[in-house]
Amino acid sequence: MSDTTQNEALLTTRNVTVTYDLTHEALHKTDLTFKGGEVTALIGPSGCGKSTFLRCLNLMNREIPKCRVGGEIFYHGRNINTKTENLFELRKSIGMVFQQPTPFRKSIRENILFAPKKHGRLHGKDEEDELVETSLKQAALWDEVKDKLKQSAHALSGGQQQRLCIARTLAMKPDVILYDEPCSALDPISTFTIEETIRSIAEAGAGICQIIVTHNMEQAGRVSDRTAFFYMGDMVETGTTQQIFSAPKDQRLSDYLTGRFG
Amino acid sequence: MANRNLDAHVKRIGLQNKIATGILTCIVGFVLVLLAAIVVYILVQGAGKALSPGFLTNPSTDDVAPGILYQLFDSFYMLLITLVISVPISLGAAIFLVEYAPDNWITSAASTAIETLSSLPSIVVGMFGSLFFVVTLGWGISIIAGALALTMFNIPILVRTIQQALEDVPRSQHDAALAMGLTRWETTVNVMLPAAMPAIVTGIVISAGRVFGEAAALIFTSGSAAARLNFASTNLASPTNPFNIFRPAETLAVHIWKLKMEPTPGNDEIVWGTAAVLLVCVLLFNVLARVLGKFLARRLTAE
Ligand SMILES: Nc1ncnc2c1ncn2[C@@H]1O[C@H](COP(=O)(O)OP(=O)(O)OP(=O)(O)O)[C@@H](O)[C@H]1O
Ligand SMILES: [Mg+2]
Repeated sequence: MSDTTQNEALLTTRNVTVTYDLTHEALHKTDLTFKGGEVTALIGPSGCGKSTFLRCLNLMNREIPKCRVGGEIFYHGRNINTKTENLFELRKSIGMVFQQPTPFRKSIRENILFAPKKHGRLHGKDEEDELVETSLKQAALWDEVKDKLKQSAHALSGGQQQRLCIARTLAMKPDVILYDEPCSALDPISTFTIEETIRSIAEAGAGICQIIVTHNMEQAGRVSDRTAFFYMGDMVETGTTQQIFSAPKDQRLSDYLTGRFG
Repeated sequence: MANRNLDAHVKRIGLQNKIATGILTCIVGFVLVLLAAIVVYILVQGAGKALSPGFLTNPSTDDVAPGILYQLFDSFYMLLITLVISVPISLGAAIFLVEYAPDNWITSAASTAIETLSSLPSIVVGMFGSLFFVVTLGWGISIIAGALALTMFNIPILVRTIQQALEDVPRSQHDAALAMGLTRWETTVNVMLPAAMPAIVTGIVISAGRVFGEAAALIFTSGSAAARLNFASTNLASPTNPFNIFRPAETLAVHIWKLKMEPTPGNDEIVWGTAAVLLVCVLLFNVLARVLGKFLARRLTAE
């Protein structure tokens, strides 16, 4: 993890397909590559398979009964889509932030420390304090909550809760963070703060690879370096965000961008 | 034209709304009056006796002022043993059904079996208990036989409420914990159970109220013999040791049933007194359930 350089391919999918209920193929062969330090936006109309694809990357689809993922997913060059892959180890380094903020019914501090403690990573109060502070600072939440770390996370606003979830994910020291429409339940100002947070994580030079599903084209434009467009279970086009937005090649993509559907 | 139609429509909806509200208010009112009538009637009939000197502190065999001390003790002890057995089993079954059980016919068969168990008449459960625990296993008429009969009667209710409580926790909490590399078990214990705890505790206490008043399942299993207890006894195997689970025991509800069956002068008063005490206990369980549930919910959200 430590020797991740800016441009190493962290995650690569090859021929990844997803089938629900054993018959409904929701995602057809998808090949994508994600690099450290980059932010990739996944866009496309509702139901096109963005979340489905995202959930492949941390093997969360395994939690859905009767869902099958085919193909290969390389993480640090190793195929993780195998029966023997240790899901729990894997998810410690591939974090995920959901559409609805999901703080646990614990204090702000405990929300951050919960998983690292469970994984036996923390020794002593100093380490805990430091982790709480750095994670909250990275997620741009520290100044707002530093005096009420012992209070319930549920007392925070929606945007703060979402940033807490990001902080909680960062506290796991992942090298990949997956976001599934992290701002769709938030107001514009909270959305803006979260976008800033994502950008600052990308620019911090830690080589964290971030992948964000979004319905908001401006958001994709603001936060991402690369963009992949999905349409009815196909990954239709991918490229730098600039190129995708200014010179789309596929007709469906240009229709989508001009708002003809979606 | 369209406007008049709309007006008529709005009026009709308004009327329907009024009628529905009226009917519902009547039904709720009727239930409340019924409950109040029963409670007040029994309390009025029984309060005198229940508060009379010695009633709560004398054994039922007392010649001068027979009381219900042992029945009271036995009721609570029986409840305790029942909960000690049924809560862990129900918790385990509910967790298994919600978190682990594969979606197949075995699981749905298990769910159906649990539901069926809940609709078995308690007297039949008592019959089974008497045949199996009392006779086949040779435990005799005993607290443990009674508690196990009550357990069978309690498990389906508890499994259902705990299952519901777990299912009511947003799925996103579960997914978030799994996405942080926690195992299902860690997720269940650290995220799901704490979040469901207020509802679980409320469910347990409400079920305790039902168990506390159950008579039919106990008549053939723990019996209706007036116990002779010696609170100073230290020999757990002694039939007079209050905590010996292999001794017979008579609970308040069974006591009422027994006295009604053998009409002797003065019995009626004791029956009403006992009924009043039983009722107050059950009402207290319900109040406790609400208070505990609220308290836990508040503690969980504002820690
Ligand atoms: N758990 C599931 N079980 C069965 N089918 C599912 C499940 N989740 C998604 N699908 C199906 O897979 C397809 C893709 O869904 P997915 O949620 O990945 O789309 P999406 O691009 O994320 O859409 P949205 O923008 O609305 O979130 C849809 O047809 C959907 O009905
Ligand atoms: Mg989605």
